Amino acid sequence: MILLLAALLATAEPAGAQLFADANAAYLSGDVSRAIAAYEALVSEGVGSTELETNLGAAYLRQGKRGLAVLHFERALFLQPGDDDASADLVEVRRGNVDRLEGDADEGGAETVARLLTPLPGTAAAAILTVLWPAAWILFGLRLLRGGPRWAGIAAAGCFGGALLFALLTWSAAAGRDMAMRRGVVVAQAVPAREGPAEKSVSRFEVHEGTTVRIDDEEPGFRRVKLANGLTGWVPSGTVELVVPPGWAGRPVLTGSARAVQP
Amino acid sequence: MIPKRTGNALRLALLIALPALASAGWKGVSAGEVELSATADASEVALDGTLTLRIAVTYASKADTGNLEVPTFADFDVVSRSQSEQVTFTLSNSTPSFRRTVITSLALTPRRAGDLTIEPVKLEFHGQRFQTEPIKVRVVPAGQALRRRPPGPDRLGDDRMGDSLDPFADVHPGQRDLILRAAVDNERPFVGQQVTYSLYLLARTNVSSIEKLQIPRLDGFWSEDVEAPQQLVPEQRILDGVPYTAYLLRRRALFPLRPGRAAIEPAEVQVLTGFGMLFSRESSRRSSQALQLEVQPLPPGRPAGFDFGNVGQWTLSASAEPSNVPVGQPITFRLVASGRGNVRDLRLPRLPVLSGVRAYDATVSDKETIERGQINGTRTVEQLLVPERTGAVEIPSLAMDIFDPVQKQYRTVRTDPIALRVDAGPVGQPAAEPISQNLLAKGGIRPIRLHLGSVQRATPLWAQPWFWPALGLPPFGLALLLGVARLRRMLQVDPGRKRMELARSAAAKRLRRARTLLQRGESVAFYAEIVRAVTGYLADKQGIAAAGLTRDELVSALLARGQPEEPVRRLVRILDDCDRARFAPGSGESPAREAVLGRADQVLGELDRGTR
Repeated sequence: MILLLAALLATAEPAGAQLFADANAAYLSGDVSRAIAAYEALVSEGVGSTELETNLGAAYLRQGKRGLAVLHFERALFLQPGDDDASADLVEVRRGNVDRLEGDADEGGAETVARLLTPLPGTAAAAILTVLWPAAWILFGLRLLRGGPRWAGIAAAGCFGGALLFALLTWSAAAGRDMAMRRGVVVAQAVPAREGPAEKSVSRFEVHEGTTVRIDDEEPGFRRVKLANGLTGWVPSGTVELVVPPGWAGRPVLTGSARAVQP
Repeated sequence: MIPKRTGNALRLALLIALPALASAGWKGVSAGEVELSATADASEVALDGTLTLRIAVTYASKADTGNLEVPTFADFDVVSRSQSEQVTFTLSNSTPSFRRTVITSLALTPRRAGDLTIEPVKLEFHGQRFQTEPIKVRVVPAGQALRRRPPGPDRLGDDRMGDSLDPFADVHPGQRDLILRAAVDNERPFVGQQVTYSLYLLARTNVSSIEKLQIPRLDGFWSEDVEAPQQLVPEQRILDGVPYTAYLLRRRALFPLRPGRAAIEPAEVQVLTGFGMLFSRESSRRSSQALQLEVQPLPPGRPAGFDFGNVGQWTLSASAEPSNVPVGQPITFRLVASGRGNVRDLRLPRLPVLSGVRAYDATVSDKETIERGQINGTRTVEQLLVPERTGAVEIPSLAMDIFDPVQKQYRTVRTDPIALRVDAGPVGQPAAEPISQNLLAKGGIRPIRLHLGSVQRATPLWAQPWFWPALGLPPFGLALLLGVARLRRMLQVDPGRKRMELARSAAAKRLRRARTLLQRGESVAFYAEIVRAVTGYLADKQGIAAAGLTRDELVSALLARGQPEEPVRRLVRILDDCDRARFAPGSGESPAREAVLGRADQVLGELDRGTR
């Protein structure tokens, strides 16, 4: 009975599989607009899938919306950091980016560090840490309080060592996630970055769609973005989309958060 | 129409004067030997104003000059007269030729209002006489606005400034000797359209040199130098009847970046006046006036996909070489946009994906030139194409939408389609790239995925707010356990030890009770209480049950515990005295009882100190 139940669960299709298949069919037949509408419907239903985000990115790219394409490839990589298709597609799209950054990478290449840290198995490391850490203290307590056997001391030392290692892994994954949570993508074709969060502020430079930025600060209607070379400016909120949207990975859902509209 | 007096006046004057001379019947004039022209810089002048008559005589010979007869000017006064000379040498078909031009400038003020005539200028050269046409000038009453001549392509001896505004039209110098004057050629440009900013110094005194020229910040513009003279080149101007020397200090091309009002702040310059080392030199600082521009947004009706950088007069062309290649051999595709405008902001169309052709990354090169004060540019996009199959290939027409600020309209410029012919490679000779027959190039967007997977987007375990604090629980629990154990150990007390610690105080308490009994006169009870105090102390402190021991055994036991002998003897004596008093009543008086009490307290104190 249990085996039968397990087999049924294994063969069960995830929610939205039919709509996903319809969207794929539309994409393959060249009806990219319909494909995008179906993919977006799945996203709005809360389906979180690397495949969905990768396909959506490819569809936007076929429509020439490079910013949204980069955004969805980035989201696919957030969900599945090592995903090969999303990585390759992202590299391909970025080749055509208008913005070429000059100057040294900021903060010792924070973007590179984030990309290295994000694929770390943080969840598994955290689970192991939650086992090893209490075990280490229990064994240590036994040895300390009751003069327990000598192996208890050795085992406690081993558990402490393992816990330290997995704590490092977990912390690194947390740091990578924190950086990913602040990453954004320019989705407007071109947007002036200003010195302050107001339309009347002086424009210091212009960023173009597809450029990945770090979101440092937010004011009503504006976001302060930082490029990988340290260049910083304020841009309208709607022109930069968060890679990790509200509702994902513990980010609070904001009411009235509208998607950026391509000009 | 009489051309305005300008630095390029010679060429223009010739263009004007030759037909005039021809129409006047001077058929004998040979343009190759001598040319004569006279031009005025205004067709209308106020009675209190001035106009400049420019007479240019060009000779083909470098040696001889003719006899120039300047008119008598019946209706004008000559305010100033200056003369300059230019000699040009050209080598055409190995034949050298000289041209010598003598320019005479006369500043004239009218004597009366009305329609006046400047008489013809005459020239006698090698026995031949030449004459210009008379020039009509309308003189209006003093103070009335002037109608200047229609704008020419140049002014101030500079043929590169294609502006339409006289930079000195509204200059009224008054008594000032030095004036720094800023001017733009267009006060209402479109976004992205070039505006030429010029800075002149007008001087009535001798200018030795210029120091510390400070050009204003040009916020809101993309700017580039058009002209930055290293030497001062003088040009004569008459302003309100006063001759001034004008020097061009700087000329920049500005491209407005956004619509709306744009201000150009004043420029500043430090001017040294005087004559070299021998005469006094004076340093003066001058500021120009600020300028205001009204930058117009691009008009409505722009085509879909129009890029805001594509403002200017652009042409687009494409070429591909060679047009006939074996498969696998490269073809160079060039897309060239050239014209007038800011080439750096230009966005060219992209070559679409061509079936059967592999396209490499394009390289972009820009070239800028300055012509007649205008920034011209050429952007060339070169792309290497490698055909991967034989047959006909067509590079389609590429289109680019531009906004032409001169015509004030949007236009679409296109390239022509290019037909290519790809043949099979020569037999037995591999193509340049052996894999070109089936080139599996890296890159390109990957195919979509067909199976939907699901990924947990919930907050990971380690990102939960309780995770890191929870890791503190095990060490905290162990610390708690250790603390409790230690507390319990601290709370556990030995009764025997407690009795020992409290023995002296218990004995003292009993001695106080004995004193109370003594005061009541209960002597038996008094002695009994002293005995209890002593024996109780010995039991609690020394662990000796005195009741069951003889006096000798008691002494031995106390000595064995390291007590000094003298207090021990006195203790035994006290016990004996108490026994005697208890069992032989009346033998003790009150003072003696008091002494026993004191002795007991003293001995117990000594024993207690000996025990510690």
